[in-house]
Amino acid sequence: MERGMLSRKGTTRKATSRQEAFGQSAIMAFRWLVLIGCSAPAVWLTWQWFFGDLGAVPGEAVVHVTGKTGLTLLLLTIAFSPAFRFTGWVGFMAARRQIGLWAFFWLVAHMLAWMGLDQYWDWPWIRREMIELPYIRYGVAALVLLVPLALTSFRRVQKAMGYRAWHWLHRLIYIAGGLGVIHFWVLTRADYLEPLLYATVLAGLVVFRIVDAMLHRQ
Amino acid sequence: MFRYRYPRIPESEVTPKALLDSRRRFLRQGATLGMVAAAPGLLWSADAKAWQVQLEERLTEALTSSDLADGESPTSLRDITTYNNFYEFGTGKRDPEVYGHRLVTDPWSLAIGGEVEKAGTFALEDVLAGQALEERIYRHRCVEAWSKVIPWVGFPLTDLLKRHGPTSRAKYVIFESIHDPDNLRGQRRSIIEWPYREALRIDEAMHPLTLLAVGVYGEMMPNQNGAPIRLVVPWKYGFKSIKSIVRIELVEERPTTSWHARNPEEYGFYANVNPEVDHPRWSQARERRIGESGRRETLMFNGYADEVAHLYADMDLHRHY
Repeated sequence: MERGMLSRKGTTRKATSRQEAFGQSAIMAFRWLVLIGCSAPAVWLTWQWFFGDLGAVPGEAVVHVTGKTGLTLLLLTIAFSPAFRFTGWVGFMAARRQIGLWAFFWLVAHMLAWMGLDQYWDWPWIRREMIELPYIRYGVAALVLLVPLALTSFRRVQKAMGYRAWHWLHRLIYIAGGLGVIHFWVLTRADYLEPLLYATVLAGLVVFRIVDAMLHRQ
Repeated sequence: MFRYRYPRIPESEVTPKALLDSRRRFLRQGATLGMVAAAPGLLWSADAKAWQVQLEERLTEALTSSDLADGESPTSLRDITTYNNFYEFGTGKRDPEVYGHRLVTDPWSLAIGGEVEKAGTFALEDVLAGQALEERIYRHRCVEAWSKVIPWVGFPLTDLLKRHGPTSRAKYVIFESIHDPDNLRGQRRSIIEWPYREALRIDEAMHPLTLLAVGVYGEMMPNQNGAPIRLVVPWKYGFKSIKSIVRIELVEERPTTSWHARNPEEYGFYANVNPEVDHPRWSQARERRIGESGRRETLMFNGYADEVAHLYADMDLHRHY
């Protein structure tokens, strides 16, 4: 099912019935929704930076917003597959690549915000913190794992790789998600409510994946 | 500018004056600490505003001012009052400002006990009566590696302790903060064990730099900064400077403190600012000065080494962090 969807050239094909036309519009609408939803925080953040109030340490606020948005979108990306499984709606698959790339965008922004707004482009210090501090190491590892995923998002690459290899590579998103949650957990001072929430969601997605694989084997 | 907001209490909760007087007499006879902790918020009358009215008058007068931050410019009042760690209100940096109005600071009592000659529970106006106030501009360094420069208004803790006569067995001073989960939303979760508790060695407590602060920038202490009375120990990480103090007790044995109990590898008893001793998860060699860009080098003892280094002369500060 998934394979057929992803190998179709272009995004929509000519509808052969009114029902299909409605279905195609719904998919288009959903993809626009994802676009708007994933870019809205950037608009909000930019506006807040120049006209609003990000608090006494605005750079820190930007690092936090980019990080949480990125992690949330990463988990949503993972969640689109079970969403497709449960609902049978192909819209999730149609928007999955887009949201995955948005997650990558936000996490790269998160790292750049940290380097620029928090560390002031002080490269010796950036290097030192990346090497020495565990929570930074987890974060860097998570982002590094996502790079091949971002680079192989495109259909041409996917075809060249072969579906099987592509699918194996993109399972790395679970590990990246795990490292991201650990990164958040380790930097938390005392209030573990939010990292716990993210960890629970990720655990649920992992459990679903495993159970689904086991059932499929039968 | 921050204005102190008196809590609004419905008519039905206003205590009749006769009952209020008898309650205060009872408190002065040294009632249980549970009563003290519960008292703020239960009592309300014109008499109870005595300490605020007095303090406001005194703050209009000129205070002697000492710059103990080597001329570094003080952090803006806005940054001082909108970026705080005061988990009783929530763990966000803005929570203390947003929810601070829930703190009932009037009336306020201070229970002083333990190894002292003169123990008891004292109304804040009595604690402040006849006590000279001064302004001190201190550096303030949080364990999270940010810092501010704050012009506190207060008086040395040693003045208060001397008035109560510590006995020879007094080796440590315990401070306890208010416990009021009904009003302080952060205390409904056990992020930390409530009430917040901190302690100093007696020589640290009696040190001339150790301040009990009741105001900032020449005005009454904002709730989010630890109204009505808080500790300021400028050579230690900020979590030692306990806010909204209700109890001071002198003891012989070293007590546990809240953050140390929560996470002993990260929060020590001494918590002296020390760029050579890193926090387990981040470096303490640099800090961000709120209101400025860039990072600056952290100073040993937060720049107060000349005044306090002798207290720790023969201590291994890597072990006693």
